[in-house]
Amino acid sequence: MSRRSGSALRGAILMAVSAALLLVWILPVLLSVLTSFKDEKEVLAYPPTVVFEATLKNYVAVLAGPSSIVPNLTSSLIIALATTILSIVIAVPAAYAIARLRLPGRQPLGFYVLATQLVPPIGLIIPYFLILNGIGWMDSYKGLVLIYITFSLPFAIWLMVSYFEDIPREMEEAALLDRASRWQAFWYVVLPQARGAIAVTVIFVFLNAWNEFLFAVILGGATVKPVTVAMYNYINTEQTQWAQLCAAALIAMLPVIVLGIVAQKHIVKGLTAGAVKGSGRR
Amino acid sequence: MVAPGLLVLVATTTFPLLYLLWQSLQNINLAMPGMDRYIGVGNYVRMWEDSRFWGALSYTGIYTGVTVVLQLVIGLGMAMLVLRIPRAQWAFRVAAILPLVLAPVVVGLFWRTLMLTPDFGIVDYASRSLGLGSHNWLGDPELARFSVIAIHTWQWTPFVFLYMLAALAALPEDLYEAAKIDRANAFRRFMHITLPLIRPAIVVVVILRMTVALAAFAAIYAATGGGPGTATEIVNLYAYRVSFAELSLGYGAAVAVVLLAITLAVAAVLFRIRRAT
Amino acid sequence: MTSRGEVRLEGVGKSFGETRVLRDVDLDIRPGEFFSLLGPSGSGKTTTLRIIAGLETATEGYVHLDGTDATLLPPGDRDVAMVFQSYALYPHMSVEENIAFPLKMIKTPAAEIGPAVREAAARVRIEHLLARKPGQLSGGQQQRCALARAIVRKPALFLLDEPLSNLDAKLRVETRIELKRLQRSLDVTAVYVTHDQEEAMSLSDRMAIFMDGRIVQIGTPEEVFSRPASVQVAGFLGNPPMNLLDARLSGGTASVGGVSLPLPRYAALGEREVTIGIRASEVRLADRGMSATVTLCELLGEEMIIDLDVGGAMLRAKFPARARLAEGSDVHLDVDPDKLHVFDRATGMRLDP
Repeated sequence: MSRRSGSALRGAILMAVSAALLLVWILPVLLSVLTSFKDEKEVLAYPPTVVFEATLKNYVAVLAGPSSIVPNLTSSLIIALATTILSIVIAVPAAYAIARLRLPGRQPLGFYVLATQLVPPIGLIIPYFLILNGIGWMDSYKGLVLIYITFSLPFAIWLMVSYFEDIPREMEEAALLDRASRWQAFWYVVLPQARGAIAVTVIFVFLNAWNEFLFAVILGGATVKPVTVAMYNYINTEQTQWAQLCAAALIAMLPVIVLGIVAQKHIVKGLTAGAVKGSGRR
Repeated sequence: MVAPGLLVLVATTTFPLLYLLWQSLQNINLAMPGMDRYIGVGNYVRMWEDSRFWGALSYTGIYTGVTVVLQLVIGLGMAMLVLRIPRAQWAFRVAAILPLVLAPVVVGLFWRTLMLTPDFGIVDYASRSLGLGSHNWLGDPELARFSVIAIHTWQWTPFVFLYMLAALAALPEDLYEAAKIDRANAFRRFMHITLPLIRPAIVVVVILRMTVALAAFAAIYAATGGGPGTATEIVNLYAYRVSFAELSLGYGAAVAVVLLAITLAVAAVLFRIRRAT
Repeated sequence: MTSRGEVRLEGVGKSFGETRVLRDVDLDIRPGEFFSLLGPSGSGKTTTLRIIAGLETATEGYVHLDGTDATLLPPGDRDVAMVFQSYALYPHMSVEENIAFPLKMIKTPAAEIGPAVREAAARVRIEHLLARKPGQLSGGQQQRCALARAIVRKPALFLLDEPLSNLDAKLRVETRIELKRLQRSLDVTAVYVTHDQEEAMSLSDRMAIFMDGRIVQIGTPEEVFSRPASVQVAGFLGNPPMNLLDARLSGGTASVGGVSLPLPRYAALGEREVTIGIRASEVRLADRGMSATVTLCELLGEEMIIDLDVGGAMLRAKFPARARLAEGSDVHLDVDPDKLHVFDRATGMRLDP
């Protein structure tokens, strides 16, 4: 009798704690959504209001006003898409070759690729800044995409290599015995099975490119200004336009939020790929 | 097929790093171009005597250590909690993905405006309602240091949560059944079965989170810009300010080199630990 | 009878870095033969198969296929088909596409592919599964799909790497018979790797027995079973394994566990330490002879396997179930001296009178 009510109580506590935690992580976005529909004066009201007269004028101002964020959205899109497509097209065959061809320097190369992931971006920005300045590619799409690729490519290769290594070789061997060339074996047998991993890689490369700030703010300028940098239009020292800032931020983050929700299974799989291998199961 | 890809790979990372190293041995000041010249280890000597650098270094240590530990404890705790509520797991997954896909700069801005603004921010509202009064969460140096750590922890704990959830879910049930038959209570089961089995996952998570914490930039920049003064200036941010605010790129490069060395050293130690488990 | 599929291995050896996994392999496989490579795990039989396929390259020696030197030839250029232990089916393609793949690779005209695929599928009785994906098939069906893919090209040589090991016991025996029939009806040369000696015995025209990376005996199942070349081979074949007892040969008599066995034909060998081999089925109950005590009885339906204590030495015998022996009872055993095997104790090699 007491055990049953004890576990019911425990269940209720667990639920309450869980709900509280859930709230903590949803709160900022929730607040932002709320604020974006408020009039600027309403925003400054104290205590903060939950029920108010909603207005769309912030979104209108952000999208159609004089400092519209739309060109910045376009910028972000161009950069992110170009980076993603180019990185994947180079990374996938390269990763396959690394995984399959028994190259002599494989171990140190793998280590080296890993090490490149550890370099703090500021360490790369300074030389890139000087280089791009020197060749006149500052504040240009080709310059920025090139630099974005330099940090997306090793990451993409690293993701795909570990995936390719996990595919059993026997299927490619069967294909080779069936008179397929190495390229045909890759195209007909391996690639179709790598669809999931490629999807994960595409998502992560796109996300990182879209959300990038440091490289964009240093190496971009008036022409190339992705949404992450454009946020600052809405903040100035005197009067932050909170409601507009929230509207702008939400619009800027809309693609990645949608991507996150729609592709959540893929994202979780990509993030936790090592977790299942590394623990428990022998 | 391989050769060009690998060449691009090696070239795009090695070359800039070597260039960085070379720049760190120069005195470069974009405001006074005529003064550029080679000064050998001059920048490093300057760093040794630079109290602001050491301040940044010590805060970096605190920042990295505290946020990683908090992420681990909270993330693991949440994972263990959520495992017992299988039906709500989807809600947690969505809630966890949200902070991870947001741009760090946006996260910093959200916290700076919606959460931490005195009087209007939610955190301030909550603290006032609880009788703790209103505070300048980002304006007071001590509070700012804590706030910035909180922001980073908020954004990245969901990663630890998801990772640990996957690791815990992969543990074989029969080990626990055997332990129950052997009369081990919940605490014992955690200490002797769960913890040792997820140790490899914990080490990986620590490596990943540490390197991200050392390279943190956009969120702090958006929230405090490194201020007030230099209170929330981690080494990464210091390198940025020196290079692009004070336009002293040579010295900035030197600071970046030191940060790189620290990051590689930390990673090397952690990898050795990983190999040992 | 086909004339294709002749395999000749000369002095083939393979090392992976410092480790030598295969040495001195000499094999002659005749066209149309069903030839097994038999041995315990790690004995080198699969490596040998992969060398024949071209998936591994021999570090020593030569491989000749149908008279041509194929040692360095890539797998796609050899007229060889292989069934892998894991089947290696392409999971994203349907059964039909899987079977059609080899034909597609050699650019067979589309009109010919369909009928050839259906014919191959019919031979292994999976024509009704052509639209399914491998993940939707049972283990036995997947195995037959792998077979169909291998035979559709009508290769000269057919290689099989433990194709039955993933099936349950009953299915294994049924499929075994089908495999033999298939090979006969297709008239192909087949090389078959297995660790199951019963499989090898029932399927092969001839077999090669591998131990520790080398071949220890080649012969027909009958030859290998009745005249094993060494103690290892003798102990590997037969169920239950041959009884191997240490004995001392002296003047045509072997002393085994306090008992003397007359071996007049071996008198010429003089004094030696030997190992005597007695098959479980050759042990007979008698009124006189060796004294033994029954220690354990295993009833297997029509037969029973008895563990016997013969003056300190352990012996296993196989009798029909109606023999009715109780544990602990004392019996007398007799063995036909012509059915004994004698091996030199030091080298393990067979000794002939």
